[in-house]
Amino acid sequence: MTSALLLCRSLTYAQRTSRVLEQSGISAYLQRAPQGITRRGCGYCVRIREANLTTALEVLRKQNLRPDGAYVWGEDGSLRGVPVP
Amino acid sequence: MIYLDTAATSLQKPPEVSRAVISAMARCASPGRGGHQPATAAADLVFRCREVLAEFFHVPSPEQVVLTMNATHGLNIAIRHLVGPGTRVAVSGYEHNAVMRPLHDVGARVEILRAPPFDTAGMLTAFASALDRADVCVCTHVSNVFGNILPVGEIAALCRERGIPFILDASQSAGVLPVDFSSLGAAYIAMPGHKGLLGPQGTGVLLCGGVPDWLMSGGTGMDSRSASMPDYLPERLEPGTQNVPGAAGLMAGVNFLRRKGLGKVAAHERSLIRLLARQVDGWAGGRALFSCNGQEQAGVLSVLHPRLDCEEVAAALGRNGVCVRGGLHCAPQAHITAGDVERGSVRFSVGPWTTAAEIRQTGEIYRKVVTKL
Repeated sequence: MTSALLLCRSLTYAQRTSRVLEQSGISAYLQRAPQGITRRGCGYCVRIREANLTTALEVLRKQNLRPDGAYVWGEDGSLRGVPVP
Repeated sequence: MIYLDTAATSLQKPPEVSRAVISAMARCASPGRGGHQPATAAADLVFRCREVLAEFFHVPSPEQVVLTMNATHGLNIAIRHLVGPGTRVAVSGYEHNAVMRPLHDVGARVEILRAPPFDTAGMLTAFASALDRADVCVCTHVSNVFGNILPVGEIAALCRERGIPFILDASQSAGVLPVDFSSLGAAYIAMPGHKGLLGPQGTGVLLCGGVPDWLMSGGTGMDSRSASMPDYLPERLEPGTQNVPGAAGLMAGVNFLRRKGLGKVAAHERSLIRLLARQVDGWAGGRALFSCNGQEQAGVLSVLHPRLDCEEVAAALGRNGVCVRGGLHCAPQAHITAGDVERGSVRFSVGPWTTAAEIRQTGEIYRKVVTKL
């Protein structure tokens, strides 16, 4: 099962993001963001199943919660950004 | 011992408050400083505290709930964001030094609006006129000296009509009276966590309608490459390690109030204050200031003594096991408004745990004390 990461601008924003997704039935796990995707230094992200990514982004859009980025793992094991509508 | 100084801090707390503090100390690390379980537990606890406070005070988002050290901390953030040199600020004649000193520091042009304690209509009339020439309004919800409730709903409405930012000092009302951030349309509401909200000392809350500048800068666990503070709340205002046990205790206190219901707390405190006023008014020339209909006063009562020194009365009560406060209560403007700034007052303040029996006993002790002095 592959995962996707939703990079959030703050810890509190990530907590809200996680809470909204859980309330919508999407399992969400808060974790430190890999340094390779944070750009501004340390940060937090929400890990979800990649299969839920499209639904999750739609749920968040309706709640006016916009992640700073969304990432999935490529075949070579590196993280690859995907567009956030 | 009879504790009647809740206006300074609530000494008696629900037992779950201290349990929550101890539990947090045992299992929580620093929020936002790691991904391990104790750090995550701390972050989750602090977030739940924000959620509880946001719901309790009708704040749209938990990010707008900033955890501070006390009400003074929050008021300083709010005032320094909206007020600069020459800014015209309308305030009530009941403001605490937590409001007046920051306004003085930043060089504001302050207009102090006065009406006698419990003259709600007079206070509202004074604001209605003064707000036409003000840039910012700061007002306390309840006087920490006399317990009079100010018409902050109406004052906030006047501010909204005029597009004037409104800062509410809810130091004496949070946890006792309804405080609705959304319906007030306030720019900021500051409050302590350790008085009516029943949390530990060293906790406070600032509800934010804007994104103010910080008082202190430092690490937030995020955006570490940036030399400046983040541009988002609440992290922008919360550098350094947070008071996680304090947040745990504060959340436990607020959850207690949610279960009990604010209406019951307010009714209980009002009935005690009416009883106390009857017990102490008129002895040794002392005059208790109270609301005739009881609806314009929260759980605070001051007695003015034309002959006795208020500090001597408070000390004598203390020697007899009754804990009250004498003096100006860090609110000289309130005493100027009431005309007693030279002598101060003996202040009694009750809380959810104060009983009618304690009030009657206080009355007996008070009458003995003041007739002997």
